[in-house]
Amino acid sequence: MIDGHAPIIRLGIRAASPFATVLGCYLLFAGHNNPGGGFAAGLVFGAVLALRTIAGFLRPTYGITLVAAGVFIVAGVALLPLLWGDLLFDQQVLSFELPLLGKIKTGSALLFDVGVAAIVVGTVMAVLDGLGAAEFATDPPPAPDHGEQE
Amino acid sequence: MIFGLLILHVAVCVLLAATSRRLGRSGLLVGAVPPAVTAVWAATRLGDHQPVSADVAWVPGLDLAMTFRVDAFVDIMTLIVSGIGFGVFVYAYGYFAPGADGIGRFAATLLAFSTAMLGLVWADSVWSLFVFWELTSVTSFLLIGHKNTDKQAQVAARQALMITAGGGLVLLAGLLLVTRSAGTTLISEMLPVDGATATLGAVLVMVGAATKSAQVPFHPWLPSAMIAPTPVSAYLHSATMVKAGVVLVAVMGPALGGLPAWKACGLAFGVASIFWGAIGALRHRDAKLVLAWGTVSQLGMLITLFSVGTAKAVLAAVTLLVAHALFKGALFLVVGEIDVRAGTRNIDELGGLARSMPIACTVAVLAGLSMAGAPPLLGFVAKEAAIKAALALEGPEAWIVGFGVIAGSVLTVAYTARFLVTVFGAGPETALAPRRHALSVPAAVLGLAGLVGYAALGPLNGVLGSAARLAGAAEVSDLHRWPGLTLDLGISAIVLALGASLGLVLSRRLGHVPAEYGARWADASIEATMTFGRATSARLQHGSLPVYLVTMAGTAALAALPFLGYVSFDHVVAWDTPLQAVLAVTVIGAALALSFVGTRLAAGLALGAAGIAVAAVFVVHGAADLALTQLLVEAAIVVGFVLAFGHLSRSFPRVGLRWRAVRMTVAGLGGAAVVVGLAAASRSPVAEPPLSEMATASVDEGGGSNIVNVILTDIRALDTLGEVLVLATVALGVLALARASDRPEGSAS
Repeated sequence: MIDGHAPIIRLGIRAASPFATVLGCYLLFAGHNNPGGGFAAGLVFGAVLALRTIAGFLRPTYGITLVAAGVFIVAGVALLPLLWGDLLFDQQVLSFELPLLGKIKTGSALLFDVGVAAIVVGTVMAVLDGLGAAEFATDPPPAPDHGEQE
Repeated sequence: MIFGLLILHVAVCVLLAATSRRLGRSGLLVGAVPPAVTAVWAATRLGDHQPVSADVAWVPGLDLAMTFRVDAFVDIMTLIVSGIGFGVFVYAYGYFAPGADGIGRFAATLLAFSTAMLGLVWADSVWSLFVFWELTSVTSFLLIGHKNTDKQAQVAARQALMITAGGGLVLLAGLLLVTRSAGTTLISEMLPVDGATATLGAVLVMVGAATKSAQVPFHPWLPSAMIAPTPVSAYLHSATMVKAGVVLVAVMGPALGGLPAWKACGLAFGVASIFWGAIGALRHRDAKLVLAWGTVSQLGMLITLFSVGTAKAVLAAVTLLVAHALFKGALFLVVGEIDVRAGTRNIDELGGLARSMPIACTVAVLAGLSMAGAPPLLGFVAKEAAIKAALALEGPEAWIVGFGVIAGSVLTVAYTARFLVTVFGAGPETALAPRRHALSVPAAVLGLAGLVGYAALGPLNGVLGSAARLAGAAEVSDLHRWPGLTLDLGISAIVLALGASLGLVLSRRLGHVPAEYGARWADASIEATMTFGRATSARLQHGSLPVYLVTMAGTAALAALPFLGYVSFDHVVAWDTPLQAVLAVTVIGAALALSFVGTRLAAGLALGAAGIAVAAVFVVHGAADLALTQLLVEAAIVVGFVLAFGHLSRSFPRVGLRWRAVRMTVAGLGGAAVVVGLAAASRSPVAEPPLSEMATASVDEGGGSNIVNVILTDIRALDTLGEVLVLATVALGVLALARASDRPEGSAS
């Protein structure tokens, strides 16, 4: 649909995707204190991947692997505290100083959000795959893809 | 230690699953390690009267915890599960040919079963017990269906799963009722209960136990399960898993034993199974089936004795439990060896094995004599104790139990004699493959253990006695190696003589081929379940999206009916700011437009307008997270539309006027239902919203100031976990659907 005949759209998607990826990362990390979170971040990453798929930059192939990884992460966050005698999902909060950024406070909730985001992205990719989006990538991807998945 | 052992099991299991292809047959030897360690641990604890326990709180708010407790009775079960488990792993190494299919998978599944079975016998919390109970059903299903391309194995596996897992659901219902009347979920803390709730619960628990322990009329899955490889039959379907029901009856005995319905149910299942199982064992000509039907009979004996619940009966039952695990395990392993070496287990085709397989024959005779209850073997002690327990009863119970035990013993001797004579007796010489030590050694150890148990009855007495005390007996009488010239010895002698002659007579009359009539009702009911399932899904899953939507909206409308009485518009205001009115008009307008446009593109635009207006409503209310998510979902939907448009026609297909009216009405009703629900919910706030509480908790414990996110990832993380798992399932479903529709017609299964 959007193949070599629509260079503007392809270029637009290529130009926008790094920004959208940064936005997704922001939502992921900011979610604990500001609007955002794993689900929103996952949707942004998913949209980036979907657009790049439509533009023919990549094939949606790793959906189920991502979903599985996400399930492992969230299950790990849920179960690991049991090992050292805490309750299911007991939150571990870490806070430390970093040179430029100042005091950083994070915790296992961030990891949980990462897992949720992975599941959402994986689901988006599985749906793309199911809708037969692989056919868009008729020509080899013009540029290697990196970094969007999480 | 308990958790350490469980973690060792799980870790090795994961290792086996990950390296299944590379390890091949030696995976079975790796898998033998955790059972060996556990068996040694259990053996060192024998006679230790101090129970050990371990627990981990899971969700304290819901009283969910993993609680394990190992007392003297459980310790004996542990020794059986892990000791025989170790032997079976070694045996399986000899049983499978080096390059056989799916050995790695088999080893991992067998160890998974072993883990689940340990969890089951160790569980003290009824919820842990239930979880492991169902896990054993699932692993049993996988192991029965090991040859997963064999149609017969598929049917047998499905039958076993439907009966045992279905029974598990009955058990769950029973446990819910019992824990409600007992006021605790810990089995060790339950006091005797009474009342109607407890009675119903007890009956349901007993039915659950009967399905697992293959009691009549739930037994047909056990003979069918003999399609599984022999190590599985020996381990799951004689020594351990089928004992789960018996163990359940034993440990629940102290709490439920006082209920007449419990005892009546147990005796009905038990005595019926003693006879029907023994008759089945006399009818069949496949040596493995003879043993399987014998197991049904012996399990009936165990259920009978445990439900009687007197000190003598429980002691007899515990002794028989141990003796049965030893002799039946040994016999299965011998039959498996014959099967591997002779290539058949049909007793008509076997002959001259006493000469060609002397060791197997000796082991089988030892184990068989123990099964028949002849001295000097542990089975004799168990049967003597059972007869003594029956004679000590009074009233009608004495007649039922006495008849069951004595006549059942006669039939047991008969099928044992028939089994030994037809398998090892004279006949055309059978050609044999060479001997394998891994096959004969575990069988020999189990066979000899019956003899050793008899010789070492002195120390064993204390162990079995303390186990029986924990399984419900008040004071325990001692077991005797030789009862002296008493009435029960006389009964024993008559039983042996009668049974042996009956068995010898029947072993010659083999012209009559038995029909599988016992399994007919099970086949029929499973077939009916499948037909019902197919019919229901054909009706509900017909594939028309508009009908799905109409069904959902219609159901929502029906669900709102009960709330009609609570509707009040006192708390309803027109708007907080006029902006809301503008947005509401936009949403309504978009929705109406959506209903009347003819092209898909226009419909997509209208839907997007409605969605974005709703996001704006969220913004007006200050719900930034909701608005953000809504907008992102809208964006994702647009991308989805772009993809889907390629496959669809430009405009919607035409529909009839009447169907259109139905859809409009149902949609309107669905909308009205939401209004009714909201109006009813806003009428009577029963408590202050816990907002300030949550805000404090979110900063102090959750470590974040965005309450919405802290609720999602911490306060209600369990809910989120459920939701993302649903999402993951959806992803799997979408892919499965896509793959299924890719496949050419006919090859889809």
